[in-house]
Amino acid sequence: MKILTGNELLSGATVYLDDQGHWVEDLQVARVFAKDEAEALEAAIAATKATGRVISIESEDVQLTDEGIYPSRIRERIRAEGPTAPRFERQHLAEDEHVSI
Amino acid sequence: MYRYDEFDAAFVKERVEQFSDQVRRRISGELTEDQFRPLRLMNGLYLQLHAYMLRVAVPYGTLNSRQMRMLGHIARKYDRGYGHFTTRQNIQYNWPKLRDIPAILSDLASVEMHAIQTSGNCIRNVTTDQFAGAAADEIIDPRPVAEIIRQWSSLHPEFTFLPRKFKIAITGAPNDRAAVKFHDIGLMAQTNGAGEVGWAVYVGGGLGRTPMIAKLINGFVPHEHLLAYLESILRVYNRYGRRDNKYKARIKILVHEEGLEQIKGQVEEEFAQIRGGVLTLPEEELERINAYFAQPAYEDIGVVRLDVEREKIIDPAYGRFLENNTFPHARPGYTSVTVSLKPIGGAPGDATAEQMEAVADLAERYSFDELRVTHEQNLVLPHVALTELRAVYDGLVEAGLADANAGEITDMITCPGLDYCALANARSIPIAQDISKRFAAPERQKEIGKLKIKISGCINACGHHHVGHIGILGVEKKGSELYQITVGGDGSEDAAVGKILGPGFVAEDVPGAIERLVDAYIARREGVDESFIAAYRRLGDAPFKEALYGAA
Repeated sequence: MKILTGNELLSGATVYLDDQGHWVEDLQVARVFAKDEAEALEAAIAATKATGRVISIESEDVQLTDEGIYPSRIRERIRAEGPTAPRFERQHLAEDEHVSI
Repeated sequence: MYRYDEFDAAFVKERVEQFSDQVRRRISGELTEDQFRPLRLMNGLYLQLHAYMLRVAVPYGTLNSRQMRMLGHIARKYDRGYGHFTTRQNIQYNWPKLRDIPAILSDLASVEMHAIQTSGNCIRNVTTDQFAGAAADEIIDPRPVAEIIRQWSSLHPEFTFLPRKFKIAITGAPNDRAAVKFHDIGLMAQTNGAGEVGWAVYVGGGLGRTPMIAKLINGFVPHEHLLAYLESILRVYNRYGRRDNKYKARIKILVHEEGLEQIKGQVEEEFAQIRGGVLTLPEEELERINAYFAQPAYEDIGVVRLDVEREKIIDPAYGRFLENNTFPHARPGYTSVTVSLKPIGGAPGDATAEQMEAVADLAERYSFDELRVTHEQNLVLPHVALTELRAVYDGLVEAGLADANAGEITDMITCPGLDYCALANARSIPIAQDISKRFAAPERQKEIGKLKIKISGCINACGHHHVGHIGILGVEKKGSELYQITVGGDGSEDAAVGKILGPGFVAEDVPGAIERLVDAYIARREGVDESFIAAYRRLGDAPFKEALYGAA
C-alpha cells in the first residue's frame, strides 16, 4: 500500500494527498493506494505536477494498523511528526497555500 | 574585517534582484520546479524534510556584531527564532517560506552577506581556524588569503559547474584547527629557508562515503602565486574529474585513481603556463586587503595571566570556563573565548535570536566588534582583554551561553540528521543529547579530558564522524536506526580516519557503549596528560574493541 506525499511550494510544508484530491497536512486522512491502483497513483502524480504547487512528490509504503496509517520508513514517520529533538511543530499551510487536484 | 568593495556590493545586489524575480516567476507558474530547483540551490535554498532550508555563507567564519544581529533578526522575523551553525562555519535556517526569501537575501545584503555558492558544484565558502588573526601559535593570519580566495572563487565563470562541490580550508598555524587535510584543497602556512611565508598545498582530502586524507602536492607555494596554483588544480580537476559517477566525482577520487604524481605533473604543467600571469597577486592589492585585517587597537592592560586555580576555588563554574573556553592569544593580556553552543541536552550548534544578539553585544563591547563561527559549531569572541573576561562570562551566563565544555566530551559536532535533513538515514541530535546528558557532570568531563565525538546521520559525513576520536554514524537497517561507532579518527595535523571495530548499536545503547570506551581509556592511560586519542594510538584497537563487544 502506498500514499502520496510531497512539500507544498510556498511553505515547504509536508503534505499528503487525501481521498478528495486535496493536499493536506494530516497523514491519517491520506488516500491509501492499493497495489492494483498503480494507474490511479500515477494519474494523481501527473495531476499534481500539473498544478506546479507540490514539490518533491514521492509515493511511500505504508501499513494500516489499529492506530491508522503507519509509514514503513522512519524518515516518513519523522516527516509526519516533525523534528523530534528538540520537538518542533511541523510547518503549517497558510490560507492561500492549500492545493487540490 | 573586510568590507565589500563596489564590485562585491554590485554582484550581491544584482543576485538578490535576479533571484527575487526568479522566485516571483516560480510562484506565478512561469518557471517549473525543474527550472527553478537549480536556481534556488545556487542561492543556498534547499528543500529539507519539513520545510525549506536557507544556508547563509559566513566567509571564513568571520562576522561583526552588525552581521550577527542581522542573523538574529532573520531568525526572529522569518524563521522560528533560532538558527543552526554548521561545520562549514555557516548558518542554516530551518523554516523559511519561499515568499520571504527575497526579503531575507535583501536583509543579508544590507550587512554584506549572502547565500551564494552555499550549494551546487562550485567552490564553497572557504573555511579557516576560528582563532585566525588571534592565536599565539600562528605563523600568519590566513584571513587575507581566505578573502582573496573568496573573491577569486565567487562567481568564477570557469568553476561554476565543476564535476562536484569543492571545499578549500586554510590555516595559518601549525596546529590545524580547520581540518585542512579533509578538504578538497587544504592550505597550511609554511616558512621557507629564506624566512618567507608561503603555503603547503594538500589536495584530495575529504570525508563522505570515501574518506581520504589529503596528500601534499606542493610543499611551498609563494604567496603571490597561490591563486595561479589553485586555479591550476581546479583546471585539472575540472578537466579530468569524473562526471560519469556522482560518487566518484570529487577530486579525492581523481587523485586516488590517477595517483598524486600524475595529478601533480598535470597541475605543474598548467601552473607553468599561468604562473606570473593575471592571477599574480599585486603587492598593493595584498596590502589593501591586509589592511582590512589589521590588528585591533590592543592596549597594554597590565595583566598577562589569570590565576585560574584561585578562580576555581572562588567560583568553580567560572574557573572551569577559564580552563576550557579560553585560548592563548598572540597579544599578552588578551585571550580568545569560545562560546559553547553545546548546552547539556541541547541541539549542537543551535542559537536563538536573543543569544545571537547577546553575543553580538559582547563582541561589540569586549572583542573589537569581531566574532567567529567555528567548524565545531561554536562561536568565538577572538580578542577579549583578561581584565574583561569576568564581564564577558557574566554576559554569557545571562544569555544561557556559558557552558564551560569547549573541547570536552560534550562538545560534539552533530549534523542535523533525520530530524531535518532530506539525505539523512538516522537521527543525530537525540544521540548527541543522550551522550551529553550521560556525561553532564563537570567532574566527569574533566576526568575524561579532551575528547572529540562527532556524529553523522548518514554516510555523507556532515558531522565529520570519520575524524572523531570517537565517531558515530547513523544508518537505517530494516526500518530502524542503527549506529556504527568508529575509534581513532583525528581531524588535526595528525590526520587519521577512524576505524569501525564491530557491529552497530541501537540508539538506546549508544551512550553506554561510549561510556565503556571512555572507561577503557581511563583504566589504561598512562596519566591524565595522555589524551584519549594518544592512548588509542599507543594501545591499538584491542582494548577498545573489547570494551565495546566483550572479550573475543
